[in-house]
Amino acid sequence: MARLMEEQNLIDMNDEKETSSYQNSFNWVDITQGFFESITELELGELLHDELFGLFDAMSAIEMMDPKMDAGMLCNRGNSKPYTFSQAAITGVIKLDGLSPSEIIGIIDSTYACIVSWLEGHSLAQTVFTNLYLHKPDQIIDKTLKIFCYAVYKIIEEIRECIVKASVYEEEDFQSVMYGGYKLQPDITEQKTISMLREVEEELHRKSRIKPVDDETEREYNDGLALYARIRFTKMLYQVLTLMGRKEQLQQNLSGCQRLLCNCSDMIQIMIKTVNRGVKADEITNHPNVMGFDPMTNQRLLPPTFPRYTKIKPRIEALEYMDELINRFKIVTKITSYNNFHGALDFFLEFSRQSPCILSRSMLQIVYLPTANRVFGVHNFSDILKDAARNFIAPPALMPKSVLLQNHQAKEFVDNFLGHCANVFGTLLQTSGHNRARQRDRLAYLFENFANLQDEAERVDGYLHALSMKGDSPRPHLACFGTWILYHTLRLMVMYLLSGFELELYSVHEYHYIFWYLYEFLYVWLVSAITRADTFILEQDIHSESHKGRSGKKNAKSKKKKATARPYHLEILMYQALQYICGGFYKALVGFRLDGRIPLPENQFDCERVRYEHRLLPFSYLLTPPPVNYKKFIEYMNAQVNKKNEKATSESQYFDGCRYFHQAKNMLDRALELNPANSNTVNEINDLLKVAKTNFIVLKLLNGGHKKDSKEPPIFDFSCHQHFPIIKLT
Amino acid sequence: MDTHEQNQNFDTIMTNEEKFNENGEIKNEVININESAGKQKLRSWLNRHLRIKMTDGRILTGAFLCTDRDANVILGLCSEYLSENSEPRALGLVMVPGRHIVTIHLDI
Repeated sequence: MARLMEEQNLIDMNDEKETSSYQNSFNWVDITQGFFESITELELGELLHDELFGLFDAMSAIEMMDPKMDAGMLCNRGNSKPYTFSQAAITGVIKLDGLSPSEIIGIIDSTYACIVSWLEGHSLAQTVFTNLYLHKPDQIIDKTLKIFCYAVYKIIEEIRECIVKASVYEEEDFQSVMYGGYKLQPDITEQKTISMLREVEEELHRKSRIKPVDDETEREYNDGLALYARIRFTKMLYQVLTLMGRKEQLQQNLSGCQRLLCNCSDMIQIMIKTVNRGVKADEITNHPNVMGFDPMTNQRLLPPTFPRYTKIKPRIEALEYMDELINRFKIVTKITSYNNFHGALDFFLEFSRQSPCILSRSMLQIVYLPTANRVFGVHNFSDILKDAARNFIAPPALMPKSVLLQNHQAKEFVDNFLGHCANVFGTLLQTSGHNRARQRDRLAYLFENFANLQDEAERVDGYLHALSMKGDSPRPHLACFGTWILYHTLRLMVMYLLSGFELELYSVHEYHYIFWYLYEFLYVWLVSAITRADTFILEQDIHSESHKGRSGKKNAKSKKKKATARPYHLEILMYQALQYICGGFYKALVGFRLDGRIPLPENQFDCERVRYEHRLLPFSYLLTPPPVNYKKFIEYMNAQVNKKNEKATSESQYFDGCRYFHQAKNMLDRALELNPANSNTVNEINDLLKVAKTNFIVLKLLNGGHKKDSKEPPIFDFSCHQHFPIIKLT
Repeated sequence: MDTHEQNQNFDTIMTNEEKFNENGEIKNEVININESAGKQKLRSWLNRHLRIKMTDGRILTGAFLCTDRDANVILGLCSEYLSENSEPRALGLVMVPGRHIVTIHLDI
């Protein structure tokens, strides 16, 4: 205590003055010397702390002066302090007026590079707002730059709103946080922004009419054109974003958008061609190198997490990204032609398969369901689902002229059921908007919802069945809604298992039970569900025909319809082909195992049962199809391998696999002959054909004893199809 | 037979725990009695506000939570100041390596 009292007298007067100037509540005493003397009494490795503070807490501390953890460290490095907008303007570091066109082009392109980097998951503070011009656009004198800066504010506001609203992002996709006091200009309306942009655009256009006479004016002329394209692009991009994000009159807006998007594409092509007209375009740096950009300007706004070093995309790559974004927007606008739900769902899944960027993903979500339960903001989502169920399996209760729903209770049950469907299918659509890795996680959670829907569907079917059988024209109503939900459940199960291949989650020694599950259960169930729907629709047609027969008028017409019916022919063929392909893989993999060509994990670190159960865990929520446990799998395997009391050879497995791939090929050929309307389906069939044909040949070779003694593991090449590999022997 | 064995096991576990507790308590008392003046002084500063100036000129203020022989200091609820008169930036729990400490001030 005495020493402490001594130290009280050692108050550093200077320090006190300093502190009092910014923190009056503290009374600082220098203890540096005492501190450094005292710590020498501690043992090596001994920590001095309170009993409430432990080593575990200490672990989570940020280490200062470690460049990997200390974001603030960069701020004091070197002597150049980051300028604020006003400082930079006064000292002339940034020009507010009299910028040359190539300077403005450089700033615009760099700003787009920042926007693109933001869309790739970096924070706004480290990307777009490293542009000092955006800090105080109202003080910029140059009109083109000023209006552009205003427009950038509006554009990022629209983007942010769209992404937040669709909410299909995770922290790795997008950062919605606005650090610091950057207010998105609320006082400038949308119309004002567009008219200001139009004004600048027309001004630039007028200038470009003066034809060049010599080299000097030619350069100016071309710079002017390049600048014109950029302002025009900015204007139209903003228009597209506002139109697509609007709930009202969505259909009309989107047709307007298509024209705008085409113009955007034209302009972005000019921008890509003229990217070198901007200043310092040829330098390659990690951050924009033109006037007004300072990577450090917002360093202090960052949260105290590990600093993320933001590498801003090069200008040319950013413009190419924008070009692709515009093309993806064009695809998104096509969703409006899908009025039936199944078509729309396939559209969503196909769109997601191409791993689109966060903005286009979000846009698709808010275009299709701008408000919950309103498709395109107009149709009731439950009604759309009702149509989907009717088209799928024609449940008697949903058919026109049906008297079943005149029963009050029955109507309530069906309406409730469709309401629940709307919730779950809404979640499914949203799930398909997430990035591919997150989708798998979310699918696993969806199975619980689908299990509940299955249960409800069964009860509704049961009630309607009992009601229907009591009525005048009794018709069975069993397993109508149930089959429809089961069909979707099975599709999700297949998607879940296949996504593991795409995400490279499975090891090769796990492939055989994944393919076995698909081959032996999921595709079989799927085919049977669709077949049931198919026959049910046929029965419904016959039923309604016999009713119409009395009026005897439309007979000819409905007969014609019958000839072209069997709407599921193609889908059944596809699933059967896929089933055979999976069977082929399964057989091939068992063959490789028998030959000892699949590297297995070390015995003591491995438990196949644990892996199997982990891979199929999400299916345990479901009652139909019942989950197949590991014991059954092993029994099946043993039965297959030891057929007829004699040990199976790998050759017989290769032979079976070979046959399966051949059957798959025949099915696919037949599917192709049906001339599928959708070009995606045609591409899919062709890819699968290539896989089936190649693997057929490989297995045929193996069956013939090719490289029999080789222990080299085969290579599974997913470059042709993301789920079904081509087997290669080395 | 089984229950008897279990009871026996249980007893041995109990006695072990007791011993462990006893040892722990004795050890703690020893530390408290024999703690040197320097350690006592450091202990008296625990949970008080410190203001640390680092080699790069930044100033950190926060609650003193922990230190060791190399003067590595852990501060809780820490704020960072670029210079004397600048705005603070909240950092939370930080560890300042002893070799980067220039001065330490205590709030009294």
